[in-house]
Amino acid sequence: MDFSESDKDLWKAIYNTKDLLHCFNCSTCLSGCPASHGNPPLLVRNLARMVVYGLEDDLLDDDTAWACVSCSRCEEMCPMDVKPFEMILSIRKWQSANDETRVPPSIVEIYKRGYTQSVGTNTELRESLGLPELQTITKMPEMLKLYQEMLMKTPVVSENDYMFSEE
Amino acid sequence: MELCLFLGCNTPAIRPDVERAIRASMPELGVDLSDAEGYVCCPAFGAFPSTDDDSYLASSGWNLSIAEAKGLDIMVQCGSCYSSLRMGRDHLAHDETKLARVNELLELTGRKLECKTKVRHVSEILYNEVGAQKISQTIKKSLEGLHGVVQYPCHTLFPSEIVGFEESPRQPKALRILTEALGATVDTYSRELQCCGGAGGFSKSTPVEATAFVKSKLDAIIEETQADFIVVSCITCLMYLDNIQKKLNEAEGTDKYHIPVFDYNQLLALCMGFDPKQVASICTVPRNSVIDRI
Ligand code: SF4
Ligand code: SF4
Ligand code: SF4
Ligand code: SF4
Repeated sequence: MDFSESDKDLWKAIYNTKDLLHCFNCSTCLSGCPASHGNPPLLVRNLARMVVYGLEDDLLDDDTAWACVSCSRCEEMCPMDVKPFEMILSIRKWQSANDETRVPPSIVEIYKRGYTQSVGTNTELRESLGLPELQTITKMPEMLKLYQEMLMKTPVVSENDYMFSEE
Repeated sequence: MELCLFLGCNTPAIRPDVERAIRASMPELGVDLSDAEGYVCCPAFGAFPSTDDDSYLASSGWNLSIAEAKGLDIMVQCGSCYSSLRMGRDHLAHDETKLARVNELLELTGRKLECKTKVRHVSEILYNEVGAQKISQTIKKSLEGLHGVVQYPCHTLFPSEIVGFEESPRQPKALRILTEALGATVDTYSRELQCCGGAGGFSKSTPVEATAFVKSKLDAIIEETQADFIVVSCITCLMYLDNIQKKLNEAEGTDKYHIPVFDYNQLLALCMGFDPKQVASICTVPRNSVIDRI
């Protein structure tokens, strides 16, 4: 590894908690992590090292944080209270803020109709099961507009507003 | 008691029979449900929680404020929704700066949040508020003679400090006891606490490895137990464990994987005598082997 260009303060930008510095590489976070079986594997311990060492370019290119299934086993088991799942989310946030291609397309769906998928449009199936019509936000344009206006005031939406415009 | 039902998106959109089972069975046990009109995506961990805290917590706040305005706690079945809402609430309840910021955002929409509403999982309500005894007394039919295994949704176990409700998160028992209350025998197996691996990016970004991972779990069930069914209490576990078996059979040229998967409330509703066509009709692995014996 080349440390000559590493940024020693990077951890503060990504995951500003002293707990991270207590990580002692024990690898407890890897046992039981489903995504550690992936190819390439998600190795939480290694990501913690990369953040602490300030390997900015390598971290920007690393996709593995997105394979996390959010089961929070690592969070439960880490003996040093690093809160590795929070760290995973923080790496994703930092990547999204620094590289617009990382912004998950699902947030555009949520912005446009309130959900990642079409909810409440399967009326025939729902009726056949004896289910009531759902009061989804998609069916309440005024309310959806308020939700959108609120999101417009948040960093990810305001900074990438072109993704959210109706064409 | 009355609770505000948070459905998420997979349940009403893809598996509405589970929604029907919940709406049918809970009131029979004295738990009335009120809809969360105008709710939005929980938000899913892969969405706003992966971009910034403002958009994450504003969405959590939006959902929490709907229940708070009704003066009700929230009840969730989807494991990820439960975890996302509960963690979001935890951030807001313990950090005044974050709560103030979210209220600033919510104010634009005419809402406000005091963070009074709690977020509870359906299996916790059934276990702690209703209780196994009341369930056994209420049902009209039973699962006697049937063996089941439990898939504990990890989103309801970890981190136990925030989302947990089991006496010991390392030895969860709520779903087992609830299933036994329906008359079934619950078998244990070596990989009982292994995650299904179906949520998040793992199964999408490396499907071959993810399939091998869940196969190890299904093989353990087949080799070590007499399971007639798998019971879950999370829509993602349900869809993944059900759908992956067909893919595994195709990939391996076998028909070895055919264990029916049920959400707990589906089994509960079936034992209460509700119509299987309404409460347990959508599945990949056929469920007749179980339904015909109830
Ligand atoms: S479990 Fe905690 S201390 Fe151990 S390697 Fe992982 S993050 Fe570091
Ligand atoms: S929360 Fe993510 S990183 Fe942690 S064990 Fe689960 S899948 Fe692995
Ligand atoms: S966790 Fe998934 S299923 Fe549940 S509401 Fe969010 S996006 Fe939908
Ligand atoms: S077992 Fe899989 S789907 Fe179920 S809660 Fe865990 S990650 Fe989610």
